[in-house]
Amino acid sequence: MKPAPFAYAAPRSVDEAAALLAEHGGEARLLAGGQSLVPMLNFRLLEPALLIDINRIAGLDGIAEVAGGLRLGALVRHRALETSPLIAHRFPIVAAAMAEVAHLAIRNRGTIGGSLAHADPAAELPLLALLLEAKITAVSAKGRRVIAAADFFTAALTTALAPDEILTEIELPDLPAGSGWGFAELARRAGDFALAAVGAVIAEAGGVCRIARIAMAGVGSTPLRAPAAEALLQGGALDPGAIAAAARAAAAAAQPAEDLHASAAYRRHLVEVLTRRALSAAVARARKAAP
Amino acid sequence: MREELRPKLVGARVKRVEDPRLLTGQGSFADDYRPAGMVHVALLRSSYPHARLLRIDTAAARSLAGVVAVFTGDELAEAARPMVATSKMKDYRATPMPMLARGKVRYVGEPVAAVVAASRYLAEDAARRIAVDYAPLPAESDPLRAAEASAPLLHEEARSNVVLSREFARGDAAAAMAAAPLRVGARFRFRRKAVLALENRCYLAEYHRGRRELTLYSATQVPGIVRDALAELMDMPEHLIRVVAADVGGGFGGKASLYPEELLVAVLARRLGRPVKYTSDRLEDLLSTSQAFDEIVDAELGVAADGTIAALTAEVVGDVGAYSIYPWTAALEPVQVVSFLPGPYRMPNYRGRVRGIATPKAPLGPYRGVGRPVAAFVMERLIDMAARRLGIDPVAMRRRNFVAAEEFPYRTGSGIIWDRAGFTECLTAVRDALDYDGLRRRQEEARAAGRWVGIGFASYAELTGIGSKIPAAPGMPVNTGTETATLRIDPSGSVTAIFGIASHGQGLETTLAQVVADELGVRLEDVRIVQGDTAGRAYTTGTYASRSAVLAGGAGKLAAAALREKVLRAAAHLLEAHIDDLVAEGSRVAIRGTDRSLSFREIARSVYLQFGRMPPELQEELEATKLYDPQFGTTSSATHAAVVEIDPETFGVRVLRYVVAEDCGRVINPMIVDGQVHGGVAQGIGAALLEEVVYDGEGQLLSGSLMDYLVPSAVEIPPMEVIHIEAESPTTLGGFRGMGEGGTIGAPAAIANAVTDALAPLGIEVTELPVTPERLYRLVEAARGKE
Amino acid sequence: MSGKRRVAVTVNGTRHEREIEPRLLLGDFLRSELDLTGTHFGCEHGICGACTVILNGDSVRACLVFAVQADGGEVLTVEGLGSVEALHPLQQAFHEHHGLQCGYCTPGMLMTALDLIRKHGRLTEAAVRAGISGNLCRCTGYQNIVAAICAAAEAMQSEEPAGDA
Repeated sequence: MKPAPFAYAAPRSVDEAAALLAEHGGEARLLAGGQSLVPMLNFRLLEPALLIDINRIAGLDGIAEVAGGLRLGALVRHRALETSPLIAHRFPIVAAAMAEVAHLAIRNRGTIGGSLAHADPAAELPLLALLLEAKITAVSAKGRRVIAAADFFTAALTTALAPDEILTEIELPDLPAGSGWGFAELARRAGDFALAAVGAVIAEAGGVCRIARIAMAGVGSTPLRAPAAEALLQGGALDPGAIAAAARAAAAAAQPAEDLHASAAYRRHLVEVLTRRALSAAVARARKAAP
Repeated sequence: MREELRPKLVGARVKRVEDPRLLTGQGSFADDYRPAGMVHVALLRSSYPHARLLRIDTAAARSLAGVVAVFTGDELAEAARPMVATSKMKDYRATPMPMLARGKVRYVGEPVAAVVAASRYLAEDAARRIAVDYAPLPAESDPLRAAEASAPLLHEEARSNVVLSREFARGDAAAAMAAAPLRVGARFRFRRKAVLALENRCYLAEYHRGRRELTLYSATQVPGIVRDALAELMDMPEHLIRVVAADVGGGFGGKASLYPEELLVAVLARRLGRPVKYTSDRLEDLLSTSQAFDEIVDAELGVAADGTIAALTAEVVGDVGAYSIYPWTAALEPVQVVSFLPGPYRMPNYRGRVRGIATPKAPLGPYRGVGRPVAAFVMERLIDMAARRLGIDPVAMRRRNFVAAEEFPYRTGSGIIWDRAGFTECLTAVRDALDYDGLRRRQEEARAAGRWVGIGFASYAELTGIGSKIPAAPGMPVNTGTETATLRIDPSGSVTAIFGIASHGQGLETTLAQVVADELGVRLEDVRIVQGDTAGRAYTTGTYASRSAVLAGGAGKLAAAALREKVLRAAAHLLEAHIDDLVAEGSRVAIRGTDRSLSFREIARSVYLQFGRMPPELQEELEATKLYDPQFGTTSSATHAAVVEIDPETFGVRVLRYVVAEDCGRVINPMIVDGQVHGGVAQGIGAALLEEVVYDGEGQLLSGSLMDYLVPSAVEIPPMEVIHIEAESPTTLGGFRGMGEGGTIGAPAAIANAVTDALAPLGIEVTELPVTPERLYRLVEAARGKE
Repeated sequence: MSGKRRVAVTVNGTRHEREIEPRLLLGDFLRSELDLTGTHFGCEHGICGACTVILNGDSVRACLVFAVQADGGEVLTVEGLGSVEALHPLQQAFHEHHGLQCGYCTPGMLMTALDLIRKHGRLTEAAVRAGISGNLCRCTGYQNIVAAICAAAEAMQSEEPAGDA
């Protein structure tokens, strides 16, 4: 299982990388962490003529505080997310979810930009980007644009990025003070892709739900939000009955496929269970954080 | 110190002599050899499960820079005889396995063409340029449908896809079953497994043109079988063939057969006059290494009201894949399912019938436990099903039906003889280690709190250390029943012990050294075990079937005793003492009760270098060769217990606790024995919960990566407690029993019973493995649908 | 951009310069170019962990990194951990606890354990099991490996400050 031959470039700046992409477009692939791309090259599922290694580009691996949130460079490694005090403080759901991602050696290399651009429907980071309503910056020789997470994942392993665009940074808007989070997934083994995963964010005030977000992975060709389920919770009491109803609605919104690991029916069942667990945890955390 | 009191190496937790090189990256696995001029093979493999090969166009591949040659099956037709696993078994149809496909392909992944190039990278580039015209043929992947007369034939000359059938019977099972007050039964399904050693298969052949000698470095467990086969298939005398299995990265049976790629590199090395290496990648391993544990068993158990077994009947269908594995034949696993099914139980009436069906899949071959894991799964589930129906505790049910001490030797319904084994002792030991009554109370409390906790037992018996009177398969051209050891002392006093076995993780370089050192009276560090190399022996096979400790250990003891005699006779002369007053220990020979002694080195130097001055009767090399044949073999047995918890909503299964009590006779190295149990249990847990080779209805392999074929990690395997019982010393020399395969035999059954126990309130019986969360979801939905 | 590139990689303290194809995997570079055959391939798609080495201070899969990416970098393989005459505490612990059988997964297991201990110091059994969950072993059932790593972590705390091999 050796890869097909390719030409190789290691640009030192985003502009240089963008210029290469402009010239080679669909014949080129960007190499960041490589933990998803290189297996595909080794299996010869992909045979790009040119591999553009962006790991030598300085300044793309920062985690910085900006107004209203955090800005993460595309080359921030999973390991850095897992151990960053800023992330632990501002987005503990990310720190918790990263512990489920693959294994140490993968997390040492894998990057947030790579994971989002690869867009595996069962991966944790795309789910989190959707849940946290991330804003994704794409740069090309023609300029830059910001893509909302809700518009970013278009199909399995497919994003809104054009062939000449590089994902350079991700902005995570702060969650409201006092909001709680929950994350639940089921994988066959520790670190495997989830059969289903659900993340939830809840904010409660005056005994009433102010913010409800539910996102799921592994049950559609992209990560999904569950707006109908969210609407059920919005403005109401966060009691077990409401949570159960929202969980059923989330399950109904899922679009699971069947594979050798699990049927669609079982995955849908998991969404209901995991949503209930994630929501319950989020509510509990929100109440603990309440002033 | 009296001889009987001195510390012995046998029985001690001696650290392994293999470790230093393996820990420091200095091992010699087949792929580590890189002789000058070596070229690499990449194979083009079939993408169809069943098709005629119309045309193979290799021109584009040949023209690529760095390509040395490209071969198809037709081009190599005269290069070697076909591999045919033969058997005298009635109702067995041999299905020859080609080196490269000829005329047609019979499974996805079957090798179709071979590219030889300067690097594996280039060879793969070239393989992609080969164009093959296939004419797809209808294929039947399901073994039951493939058995029907109307199914498309995989091997026309066999005239049927049913390539073997056999029956074992005793008493009148039909009548006894009809008369039994209670009958329990089910269709049991054990799904196909990949052996999945961490080291992929790798073969490197060197052909010395001047000496016309072939040397094959092979990731194999059976260098002797491979040498014999190469000699026959390549029409060469065996003294020109050497097969070396230096360090092998796990075998478990997947490396215990001759493979087409193995023959191929030998043939190509001879033809090209250069070293030729083939290293399988993991995809190829999942496609083409032998697979295992794939049977459908319709079984029924008839019992009396008190739980006593009256009769057992079973119809077994084995899915043996596209070819009959060499040399064991496709019959190996399916027949063992039906011959070991009666287990350690008293069973007056038994009928077991088995058919092996050819389907377009990789061939079925040996994997740890062979047919016994499936047999234990079925029997132990039936025991529990009957126990539950009668309201009898599963431990009591087993105890009631075990062959009792006074009944040994006991002939089972399939003709296997159990001799003096610790069935009841193992069960009692596990029960006590679990604090069984306390555990059941805690289970009740957990159930009351809504947790699904289950306790499962599995007891099994098997034959190990098998001698020449028990053939592995009738008419098979392999003698698995003997081993020979040659021991020699050189002038420096160091000892070389040459065996034909082939260690691949079980530490035989250490355990055999312990046996030899104790028997000979030398220090462990003065013994070097030579193994895994056919150069040492005229006839050998290798390491498989839990035989090496018994057979090689026995041969080592005999040879060491004979050599010790020679050493003592020489020492008696040199020390001017009576031989009966001498004791050999710690590489010295001393006159008992005095401080007069000689080292082995001094004795050896005298014998070799002052040869002329020794008396005529002592003018001999310090060497001894002895063969050991245990004739029949011995019974190994164990009871396993698993405690599992199932998440009542997600149906994820966790193994909380695992206990094994095994009777493996005299233990040479308890550390190594424990390690073997741990590893086997881990594979058994994987087989029960995670692992499944999946082919779709069109014969395409779906589980083509390690993301799809799931092997357990350290998180999925619990800590395991291992208790050694030596119920009674077996008749083998040294009192050893084989024990390498027990983990996989007991674990799937114990897990299946534990999961069933956890689901007892829903009345669910687990009859299919692996029992995955998906399958549990289906079972629970169905059970709830009935409420 | 096509064709071979010249790279310089420091492996186990020794600098090596080679001209290689960009597609040459780091594991093949170590095994074929440098004759360091201690690093083993088990799957070539990043799952089994047998090929794990330390690159620029972090454990990585040598099957998922191209050798050109290690240009100017530092690699530590099992051959640089210790020798038969002087085993590293991790190797010694594996020896004492029977943490290996066939030895094929062992180099990757050792390098992963090294990274775990460097990053975490003392480790609970659960943390070790989670930490090595990306290193498949088919022989040992993991029990003795876990015991060995816990013991080594303990031994290495009292020996040297975290961060040294």
